[in-house]
Amino acid sequence: MKIDHRDMMVLGDEAVSYGAIDSGLKAAYAYPGTPSTEIVEGIQAIFKGNEQGRIASWVANEKVSYEMALGNSYVGFRSLVTMKHVGLNVAMDPFMNSALTGIQGGLVLVVADDPGMHSSQNEQDSRYLVDFAHLPCLEPSTTQEAYDYTCHAFELSEALGVPVVVRLVTRLAHSRGMIKRKEEMTPVESLGVPKAECKNDWVLVPSIARKRYRKLREKLKKMLTVSNAYNKTSLSGHKRGVVLSGMGRAYFNQLCRENPNLKEYNMLNVCAYPLSLTNLRKFIQSSEEIFVFEENYPYLEDKVRDMGQGKIVYGRRDNSIPMDGELTPLLIKNCLGIELGESKKIPEFEVPARPPKLCSGCGHVDTFKALKEALANLGIKDPRIFGDIGCYTLGVMPPFDMISTCVEMGASVGMALGAAQAGYEPAVGVIGDSTFVHSGLPTFVSFAKSNVNVNLVIMDNRITGMTGQQPTIVTDVFEKMAESFGLSPDQIHILIPLPKHHEENVKYLEKVLSQKRPDLIIFRRECIQALRKGLYKEIDKQKE
Amino acid sequence: MVDFNKPKSVIIAGVGGQGAITVAQLVLSAAWKSGYYVLQSEVHGMSQRGGEVNAQIIFDKVPVTSPVVTQGEADLLIGIEPLETLRYLSQMSKDANIIASSEPVINMDNYPKIEIILEKIKSVEGAVLIDTLKAAKELNNKHAGNICILGAASKFLPIDNEVWEAVIRERFESKGEEVVMSNIKAFQYGKKFTEA
Repeated sequence: MKIDHRDMMVLGDEAVSYGAIDSGLKAAYAYPGTPSTEIVEGIQAIFKGNEQGRIASWVANEKVSYEMALGNSYVGFRSLVTMKHVGLNVAMDPFMNSALTGIQGGLVLVVADDPGMHSSQNEQDSRYLVDFAHLPCLEPSTTQEAYDYTCHAFELSEALGVPVVVRLVTRLAHSRGMIKRKEEMTPVESLGVPKAECKNDWVLVPSIARKRYRKLREKLKKMLTVSNAYNKTSLSGHKRGVVLSGMGRAYFNQLCRENPNLKEYNMLNVCAYPLSLTNLRKFIQSSEEIFVFEENYPYLEDKVRDMGQGKIVYGRRDNSIPMDGELTPLLIKNCLGIELGESKKIPEFEVPARPPKLCSGCGHVDTFKALKEALANLGIKDPRIFGDIGCYTLGVMPPFDMISTCVEMGASVGMALGAAQAGYEPAVGVIGDSTFVHSGLPTFVSFAKSNVNVNLVIMDNRITGMTGQQPTIVTDVFEKMAESFGLSPDQIHILIPLPKHHEENVKYLEKVLSQKRPDLIIFRRECIQALRKGLYKEIDKQKE
Repeated sequence: MVDFNKPKSVIIAGVGGQGAITVAQLVLSAAWKSGYYVLQSEVHGMSQRGGEVNAQIIFDKVPVTSPVVTQGEADLLIGIEPLETLRYLSQMSKDANIIASSEPVINMDNYPKIEIILEKIKSVEGAVLIDTLKAAKELNNKHAGNICILGAASKFLPIDNEVWEAVIRERFESKGEEVVMSNIKAFQYGKKFTEA
């Protein structure tokens, strides 16, 4: 193997970054979310100092990201929007409807699923949502494919006139491998705004929406022609067949190295969706036993089972592979009945888990300590606190035991308000500054208008801490914002979570939590990780 | 000298903030620069907050498609923390080599007695325990531990000394010649632990 100048060793996420840039990307938008964060970080790193009018930007949330990418597409440019799987729930509205409006410049959505929930609250499979929107999707299994498919996705988007989805999973997003970049970069060029005769296609009032929806359904045939070109079938006459996609394909191909007889199985490689049912039927007929290896819900498997009456199908539904959790080479080996290699004799020992914890010196620690003591002093045993998503979710752990819920971005505000209106008091919600901007803002309007004992604690470290300290869109504005939404200055409190302020913070909280009215309590102190890296210099400079 | 009937697989295990991913990237680039096909997978969900971190590397003379080692079949474990070394033993094959640091990172209440952990590691066939604290003192470089372990582990990887030195240089170049040289020294120091 010779390394030439176009060979690079990159993360799966970064392969997408390069693919987008090499395809003439004008703008990329995202809200950070593991395992997708490194895509926009990668683009920012590659652009650094050489933007040439191109954009790679963090924005408030996934819905906003999608809408900005769509606006960029409307004026004719190629745009990228990236998110984690649950981010697509937030962006669902523009996602669904952009299928009807169609696109002008190529629009690519990269969504990274997290089977096994390495750092997520569920393991939903984005392929169902893509199906729901009647859009095409490419699913790479290696870093090279992540690069290639990203490049193809822009072309396909413009050829089909719809957004194209690229689906990643954690194992690919966070794997490093080689990519060979294409020789020529596509220049950044605008196709212009939609022509006068199709101007109204973008106005989804019912009369137009009905036409656009029909138009979208008519594109299915073209989409199938495209996906058929990706989904290679090989039939050998073997009684066994395998249906492979994503990491299932990667792991199976690797197993072929040591078990060459596997290469003789009939194979259907699914790299693109929608999947042609005609082709699937043909494939199913070719084999007696069919194995389905895909990540993570039994999406393909269910189709195989539906069509393969009388065939023996192995996958998640029959527990050959567990219904939940990440697919692994070991699970595939066991499912295929391949003998395992001999493993190391190891001593018996129960290895205790090493859970993550808040950094020593973190301001969240002081906030939780003060809150805990104040509630105890008010005689509230076993307090229930409505939590949110960020480092502070770790407040669920001892010794704090101060987070009772973690549902989705922004849930703390609404849940605390709902609980307070039902008579639970003092109701307390805990949220970070970045999560508040992401999804807490609309709920805060209702919060400020309420007249119940509800308390919102913003753990404000002026940065998006958990995903690697990306800048928050705005800093130090929450007090002004709360006032303009109708809270009086005595309902807005700014405290500093430091050990030396502990006693006064406890006393202060006791007073605030006893008031039958909404209160906003901002605990403001810099993230110590970001402080050590000197990241606030830039943030403060931009404020001036 | 090296049997390539199957790909070589390496697991690097440690605690967030210890530099496990840096060690993994050195192995990855060394294998790549040696002309192998190579893939690496990392798991570091919330490891910035002191949780466990692991990276797996697979390399071969023919293209590799899986970045994940089959459990129980890995060839080499580089454990930069003793409890994390124990955690990943079940990933290893019968003939695997294990290079482990004896220096614990105790950021949990129920951390077992370190003497027991070290005893358990020593009882495993093919395990080499390295006193990284002592190494750091002798080398007068408090960050020497990881590179020292890598030096010891290099015996079991089909990668030339020049390639190792080149990747170490590349990784630490921005910190100056002194840092480069002290890391190369740590690497050579580590090699002694596994010399026949």
